[in-house]
Amino acid sequence: MKFQIEEVTVYFPYDNIYPEQYTYMVELKRALDAKGHCLLEMPTGTGKTIALLSLITSYALAKTESPIKLIYCTRTVHEMEKTLAELKFLHNYQVKHLGAAAKMLAIGLSSRKNLCVNPKVSSAENRDSVDAACRKLTASWVRSMAAENPNQPTCEFYENYDRAAGGAVLPAGVYTLEDLRAFGKEKGWCPYFLARHMVQFANVVVYSYQYLLDPKVAGIISKEMQKESVVVFDEAHNIDNVCIEALSVSVRRQTLEGAIRNISRIENEIDRFKDIDAGRLRAEYNRLVEGLALRGDLSASDAWLANPALPDDILRQAVPGNIRRAEHFLHVLRRLVQYLKVKLDTDKVEKESPVSFVASINSDAGIDQKALKFCYDRLHSLLMTLEITDTDEFLHIQTICDFATLVGTYARGFSIIIEPFDERMPLIPDPVLQVSSLSLSLSLSLSLSLSLSPLCMLCLCCHDASLAIKPVFDRFQSVVITSGTLSPIDLYPRLLNFHPVVSRSFKMSLTRDCICPMVLTRGSDQLPVSTKFDMRSDPGVVRNYGKLLVEMVSIVPDGIVCFFVSYSYMDGIINSWNESGILKDIMQHKLVFIETQDVVETTLALDNYRRACDCGRGAVFFSVARGKVAEGIDFDRHYGRLVIMFGVPFQYTESKILRARLEYLRDTFQIKEGDFLTFDALIDVMNIELTDRNLNQRQAAQCVGRVIRSKADYGMMIFADKRYSRHDKRSKLPGWILSHLRDANLNLSTDMALHIAREFLRKMAQPYEKTGSTTGRKTLLSQEDVEKLGNNGAQEMLY
Amino acid sequence: MNNSEKKRMNGEAEEENEEDVEDEGRDAWERTYTDERSWEALEEDESGLLQPIDNKAIYHSQYRRRLQSLSAASAASRIQKGLIRFLCVVVDLSKAAGEMDFKPSRMAVIAKHVEAFIREFFDQNPLSQIGLVIIKDGVAQSLTELGGSPEAHIKALMVKLGCSGDSSLQNALELVHDTLHKIPSYGHREVLILYSALSTCDPGDIMETIQKCKKAKLRCSVIGLSAEMFVCKHLCQETGGSYMVALDEGHFKELLLEHAPPPPALAEFAIANLIKMGFPQRAAEGSIAICSCHREAKVGEGYICPRCKARVCELPTECRFCGLTLVSSPHLARSYHHLFPIEPFTEVSARQLELSRVASKTCFGCRESLLTPGTNKAGPCAACTKCKQYFCLDCDIYIHESLHNCPGCESRRITPAAASVTMS
Repeated sequence: MKFQIEEVTVYFPYDNIYPEQYTYMVELKRALDAKGHCLLEMPTGTGKTIALLSLITSYALAKTESPIKLIYCTRTVHEMEKTLAELKFLHNYQVKHLGAAAKMLAIGLSSRKNLCVNPKVSSAENRDSVDAACRKLTASWVRSMAAENPNQPTCEFYENYDRAAGGAVLPAGVYTLEDLRAFGKEKGWCPYFLARHMVQFANVVVYSYQYLLDPKVAGIISKEMQKESVVVFDEAHNIDNVCIEALSVSVRRQTLEGAIRNISRIENEIDRFKDIDAGRLRAEYNRLVEGLALRGDLSASDAWLANPALPDDILRQAVPGNIRRAEHFLHVLRRLVQYLKVKLDTDKVEKESPVSFVASINSDAGIDQKALKFCYDRLHSLLMTLEITDTDEFLHIQTICDFATLVGTYARGFSIIIEPFDERMPLIPDPVLQVSSLSLSLSLSLSLSLSLSPLCMLCLCCHDASLAIKPVFDRFQSVVITSGTLSPIDLYPRLLNFHPVVSRSFKMSLTRDCICPMVLTRGSDQLPVSTKFDMRSDPGVVRNYGKLLVEMVSIVPDGIVCFFVSYSYMDGIINSWNESGILKDIMQHKLVFIETQDVVETTLALDNYRRACDCGRGAVFFSVARGKVAEGIDFDRHYGRLVIMFGVPFQYTESKILRARLEYLRDTFQIKEGDFLTFDALIDVMNIELTDRNLNQRQAAQCVGRVIRSKADYGMMIFADKRYSRHDKRSKLPGWILSHLRDANLNLSTDMALHIAREFLRKMAQPYEKTGSTTGRKTLLSQEDVEKLGNNGAQEMLY
Repeated sequence: MNNSEKKRMNGEAEEENEEDVEDEGRDAWERTYTDERSWEALEEDESGLLQPIDNKAIYHSQYRRRLQSLSAASAASRIQKGLIRFLCVVVDLSKAAGEMDFKPSRMAVIAKHVEAFIREFFDQNPLSQIGLVIIKDGVAQSLTELGGSPEAHIKALMVKLGCSGDSSLQNALELVHDTLHKIPSYGHREVLILYSALSTCDPGDIMETIQKCKKAKLRCSVIGLSAEMFVCKHLCQETGGSYMVALDEGHFKELLLEHAPPPPALAEFAIANLIKMGFPQRAAEGSIAICSCHREAKVGEGYICPRCKARVCELPTECRFCGLTLVSSPHLARSYHHLFPIEPFTEVSARQLELSRVASKTCFGCRESLLTPGTNKAGPCAACTKCKQYFCLDCDIYIHESLHNCPGCESRRITPAAASVTMS
């Protein structure tokens, strides 16, 4: 359908539109008009993506004099593919209606792992080894060597792409990753480099958060993006964590040991080079004197890593003299690693600010701040000079340099925490959980951190999410942050330090009450249930939780997902259920799958869980609220007819990292709010409470939000903790859940919940009408409806 | 008639709305009893006497709604219908059938309504056959072979009533598939599963079995008793059946009886077929013969196959010896009406009736006055769209549900014929 929003003709590829999509577009358009940033919350399953895409592309079509570019950031490759598929559909529709005028180029950009077509390279098992394998074939010195020696292997795809040079362009259209690969194969061009090249010319670019937020990557990929771009962060409820992760580094003993190995290898290489080609090292030295910004002689394929958020003026400075020579630089690194090693040997938790840390490095190891600042680039340059291609081997030393540079650059917003903990120590209940939730939730780093048994960790934590995202806000005309759950919506501007021109939360219009949230406070014996610390190990509570699940598995079809507050709690409760035979009762009705901290195992468990749901056997999935599952896996349709949240998933508040962050937030808020509010002492306390609480509620909401992905879907949610019945906790849940939470369902016991569930499932199984035209609640608008709305002014429908 | 049925008559969509409003203030436990709160339907008149509840109006409007939904489905185009149906009724008697949410238990409710269904089914489809299958302890067993005698099926089911163990959809489908895939191609293969359980414990991949059923052109329908299951929905979608979940006992009965009239034929069946049939003679009174079905000597009763002269006890059936389908002509006639259903009558408002040219204001069917006794106001009535005759509501129901012929149209059709005879 085609309709007007003010002066823009919107092309929407479906015949009908949900009212909330329409208002969403209206608000979005206002933000674009104002050239400002906006924050929009709309429940999952209401077609956010298509609304966004169709408005922004239509807007670009309408404003031909100043064409805008759309940069769409997704969290996962899977989401990227989905977005591109929708865009393709939309594009076909637009071309059908507008002809060639609507032509655009849209591409998805991902890592080599996802784009490489060279069979020898893409068979490598992880991202880093694919990158390294690619570099082995395409680095400039490798290619120049191949020019002399025909036996030197190179990548034919890259060679072809390079030969085509300016002629290598993508014709207009929408390219998913699959399409890019196919196109590359057909033409014999490397799709990865082609895509990277085309990013500058594309109208729509879809890629992952990291390409914009992680300064190391953003420097290469996103440098050339024009200012007149609209940046969209989809599913952005965790954006502050992504920002923080991008600038956080953790160092373990293994990292240090690896770094030492790397240093020795580099040393050998240097010696070797001295014998063969001493001139090279001298040339590098001269280049470094001139400054880093002038290394124009490096070709595009060599720019594999760039500066971690270095201000531009540093780039133009000359590298300090004491690290210019390769040998000297290595000495500095060695001293730094040694210093860190000593630091890690402590047996008490330490927290330091970067300023004092740098000062102590200076006094103990004799490395000044400036030298630290340049570590990263110096290493980069050295590796390049030494023609080292297997970069995945050098991750450890890179981490160390990364750390050094960050510590040297930022005095505010960071802290260094040294935690000598042991997993088996009873005092700290959940060390790994804390690691995965705060500092390393990227799955790659997760697996990395899990494979090493953490004994002692030195962590440079970034506390200020606004640091990483600031360049994005400054640089681009409009930034759209959107997700299904952004409640409370006023917190995000403060966390990310920006001023949205539009900040709205939309409700889902439903033809029927397809979600049924319940708050369960008592077991069938009327005793309260909770995971509060003093109650969680009470056998009565454990039994009541077990009874609840046993009853539920017997009346809910297909899949049930259970969230626990932590791995250790889950382990404990499953053990006691096993002993008391509750688990056996559950198994009579459904199969049980458990999330572990092993990614592969969990993936397998999830796979089997889905199979069990499909074939009608039924299954229960036990998961942890902050584990991998809550991050991005949907339990839609029959995969999650019921979600039970056992307890309130508070973050582990004893975590030093969290404490430090909260402290920092409080401090900055104090500064900011001091201007507006006089009673700052009171606000202090409230703020820390508020932030803390919000983080938690957000987690709970995300867990249960995964049940509903479309309007035809239905599902129940049980919040099983007496604390949920308190208003202050409950009110932090997103509006679309709250609006379905009836007063009658606020304080239930197990048997009452059972009854409601039974009734709800029967009611939802009845055939229903999609448009809702007969019930008086109009939830699908046709073309005429929208036109009518446009005439009456959109204000009226903001109910 | 109680509250729940009253509610249901308001149409599905409205019902939801209304329930939302009504249920808002009511607790869950209270809602369980709404169905049994029959006393609330009672009303007093001015003198304090209890008024009889007007069931008739409710009943009729309910019927009209059903009729309309049926005709809406078939009106679009003339849909071919399978008249010779081979239906396997699968009753799930696993542990879940013992649940008490239907009173007294799901099992008892199923048994009661299956009995009614079997009778209704044979009444509407005299040429068809039913077989019963039960699922118990994870295995499916065939209770009765495909056959045309309602009594035999009902008796077998009542004997076997009792539940235990898990349920296995795959085993049931395999069994049904084995029974049905060998019947001749003119027969329509249908499966109706009454499923109580919420899971299925299968020995193999159920998806393969579903595909096998699809290939064998089995139309599988499921009526669930507790909640929607993905695999059932998938099965019905794949094989072209319907999947419904019963809200309560009344709803269950309704859903079950919807399966009595023949469904539209699957596209693959839409080729016309000629079937050889025999119309046996009733054996002479007092003649003694050994019947082929029970292998007993019987005096009188029974029919003689016109081809091989074997004796059978009941019609319709297949001759044991020569395999000829044996029917009687009334059977054929009774099936015939499904192909040419009478269109639903239009409702006539009181005003229309008063203005109408029909002077007598009596029902064309029963000659009762259409005016409400006493008040002399026009009561509710309906008119045939073809012959424009008026009928009272009782006749309307009788014509559509039992007679399947409109008296008005039938008598008119004779008139021109008779007229032409007199002319010549």
